[in-house]
Amino acid sequence: MEDLNIIAKVEAFPSLPGATAKLLFLLKDPDAAVAEIEEILRMDPGLTANVLKLSNSAYFGFPSEIGSVHKAIVLLGAKRLMQLVMTSCVNSVMNKPVPGYDLSPGEMWRHSIAVSVAAEGLIKELNTPKADEIFTAALLHDVGKLVLGEFVKDEIKKIEKIVSKNVSFELAEQIALGTDHAEIGAKILESWGLPAEIVSAVRWHHDPDAADETSTLIDIVHVANVLCLMIGIGVGREGLQYKPSSVVTKRLSIKSAHLEKVASHTLGWVNDLADVYETNQKVQV
Amino acid sequence: MRKIIVVGDMKTGEKDDLLITHALGSCLGLMVYDPQEQIGGLLHAMLPLSKINRDKAEANPYMFVDTGVPTLFKTLYEMGAKKSRLVVKAAGCGNPMGRNEMFKIGERNYTVLKKLLWKNNILLKAEDVGGTKSRTVNYDLSTGQAIISSNGVKEEL
Repeated sequence: MEDLNIIAKVEAFPSLPGATAKLLFLLKDPDAAVAEIEEILRMDPGLTANVLKLSNSAYFGFPSEIGSVHKAIVLLGAKRLMQLVMTSCVNSVMNKPVPGYDLSPGEMWRHSIAVSVAAEGLIKELNTPKADEIFTAALLHDVGKLVLGEFVKDEIKKIEKIVSKNVSFELAEQIALGTDHAEIGAKILESWGLPAEIVSAVRWHHDPDAADETSTLIDIVHVANVLCLMIGIGVGREGLQYKPSSVVTKRLSIKSAHLEKVASHTLGWVNDLADVYETNQKVQV
Repeated sequence: MRKIIVVGDMKTGEKDDLLITHALGSCLGLMVYDPQEQIGGLLHAMLPLSKINRDKAEANPYMFVDTGVPTLFKTLYEMGAKKSRLVVKAAGCGNPMGRNEMFKIGERNYTVLKKLLWKNNILLKAEDVGGTKSRTVNYDLSTGQAIISSNGVKEEL
């Protein structure tokens, strides 16, 4: 049974910022005009500034400088633009300490972008058919921790007692709280109106074998998440108390060399993206 | 002075320095200390073998165990440390749950370290490795004392 307090907190969780929600809706429409997208961005100068900075970051790297929203939309295309908008939106939501999981300010954000870039790196390394939504799914996979954190904190003794019997952390959350951060994350994203495949990748990111339907999105987010925890980006109180699925590694034909190669690049990619925000903060101070 | 060592980095220091590294998951934290000279170093290496990404290893040997460990020892010798006096300790090298071999990067980090030390006739004085814990190392170069903490529990190594 899910705790009613948890459900209330999910319902009270901030909705997607207006401009982001409108853009999400618009970018799903293949007939949307560039002018319409431009108009929404123009109404939100903060978002526009972030999108421009991100499009000029080393990670998204364009050879020439992107100086206008118009150029950004035309050069990046709708999919990439949406990723930038989500990255910017997620930064404001996630750049805070997360109790329960004991993540210091900024760690959740760094972990989220790390899983995004590692996921894209894995897709390239494995020659997996391109999955457009992978960046956004990876970026949002842990959003449920923002709600569940305080409940985990209250029940941490109980959870850790369960964990000590060689039970994975998300299963211990299920046993102690009746739900886990993956399920809560999926509920939040459903209420934000995100596409079903993204919601599903978030819901099953720790337990891909339980998904009704398999997908590259679920598999890659699952692997990228464990990999980033292993290399210490956003690893919290639960440490590495998660179990990578053998079914997934087999399905993706992953070898240890793939994982290590992607790991060796991940930190650099994360810094390329994070630099944008750190410069941002310096400017604001 | 407090010095923080991030993932894929190494720092050395002397008496009155405190070397700190956080979030050792499957990464290796290697501590090397010469008690007579009161100098030491702490390495936070991510991956076992540099052949996986030669360019990265060239730019930053501390990302890999096979390039980071020799560089740490060499740096300390240049600072005046003597091999016969060195006290070596290891922490980290954790793994996620289950038996999935692909994800045993921590185990491979530890194996490569042991091989390197064995080849060079160096023994590990102490270790806190394996399991699913995330560890923080506080390494005091006045005494060579290493405190490993995980979720608020502190233990001397």
